[in-house]
Amino acid sequence: MDILKINGLEKKLEDNEILKGVNLKIDKGEIVGIVGPSGSGKSTLLRCINRLIEADEGIILFNKKNIKEIPPIELRRNIVLVHQESVMFPGSVYDNVSYGASLVGKVKKSHILKCIQDAGLPEEFLDKDASKLSGGEKKRVALARALALEPSVLLLDEPTSGVDPKKIKTVEQNITDFSKNRKLTVLWVTHNIDQAMRVSGCIANLKDGIVREFCKTKDFKWEGAY
Amino acid sequence: MSGIPYTWDEGLIILASVFVLLFVVIILSFIKKIRIGKEFTYAILKGGVQLTIIALFLTYLFKFELWYLLIWLLLVTMIIVGGYTSAKRATGMPHAYYITTPAILIGSTIILVILALSNAMPMEPQFIVPLAGMAFGNSMAICSVSLDRLMREVKLNKLAIETALSLGANSSQALEEYGRISVRTSLIPTIDRLKTLGIIFIPGAMSGLLIAGTDPIVAAEYQIIVYLMIVGGGVITSLIVTFLSKKRFFTEAEQLAEWIN
Repeated sequence: MDILKINGLEKKLEDNEILKGVNLKIDKGEIVGIVGPSGSGKSTLLRCINRLIEADEGIILFNKKNIKEIPPIELRRNIVLVHQESVMFPGSVYDNVSYGASLVGKVKKSHILKCIQDAGLPEEFLDKDASKLSGGEKKRVALARALALEPSVLLLDEPTSGVDPKKIKTVEQNITDFSKNRKLTVLWVTHNIDQAMRVSGCIANLKDGIVREFCKTKDFKWEGAY
Repeated sequence: MSGIPYTWDEGLIILASVFVLLFVVIILSFIKKIRIGKEFTYAILKGGVQLTIIALFLTYLFKFELWYLLIWLLLVTMIIVGGYTSAKRATGMPHAYYITTPAILIGSTIILVILALSNAMPMEPQFIVPLAGMAFGNSMAICSVSLDRLMREVKLNKLAIETALSLGANSSQALEEYGRISVRTSLIPTIDRLKTLGIIFIPGAMSGLLIAGTDPIVAAEYQIIVYLMIVGGGVITSLIVTFLSKKRFFTEAEQLAEWIN
């Protein structure tokens, strides 16, 4: 059953046509790798799905409902975007991870602990000053922060950029593990086709604002993909 | 004790003799090539004309029996000019005037009503005009700093704001921290002046009262009242700026507005 359906999505940014009619159908619990060169519209696509920006044309259905009919805050708590650059809010790792969840209601410490452990960080990190973490640690906190909202869909924009190359595969494993355990649908934007092949069940190749190919990873012909 | 010991026509002669300072500025500006002579001359003449007009208006107003019908004209002009002046600071923000004007109006009015109810401002034009002028003027200055700072904070922290929005925060929650910074920043100069009150300088209201021959203790008391009015009005103005700006910074769908880019 599809959880997300995108039809004819178009978006212009400062007179540049970034998305020129994107069509995608994403099944529940699937990890979809979205690949494509820089400027192909990968991040813009995620921002449209999260409604951080408004698409000019086209329609996005979430659980068969037009996202424009869902209150934006409710939508963003269900479809959480983890940005490429992980901004930490002032305070501890705990404050950061509980940020979104605490806006909804009371947060249990055990819930936050589970989220940071799923994101690959030990319990000792909870009290650390978030601003003093390394780039990779911030990425993991950003992932945990998204998980704390218990979303249905996770939009990941280059989740391993800035991560120590030796630890990239561990982060990939963490994400695929928690996605499986939590039955999460993941849209994973990466410019690295190898990574997309490793982590995703399906791959969408976005080039010049259009999905050129969308298929099972095993059928994806990555030679000359972009 | 008595006030300034000369009449307006005697004052005119004294003023003319003090105008020698204008020539000092022009000569120094010419010799040192500072190039402010022309601008300074224009500014002093413009300021002089404006003050003369308001002085003539006040002379009439203070003698007019139905002054309360006329005073509105002055107060409304002050608010409109203040709103426009402050809005000019918000380069790029659409319709900033609709933020600055109500912020100055509400911030100042609340404080002026409190002053009136507590008898700190007797309901006579010679008290209402200068105190309203101070309230509007300071609210305008605080409003400008507050809006300018808020705009800078939002532009600098776009990613943090979008991160908060992505995590289900509404626009008020996403803007909260930057609103606080903006309110605090806009009040720092006033609070710093409060700390140095009477040590580094004797402020305007107290100086005016001393020149007018008021008892220094009463003048000091009144100065404190004025500062309370400025800080109180400033906090309210600044909070209103943050509240009203939200609609300019965000769309109805809780997205950052495009003009911020």
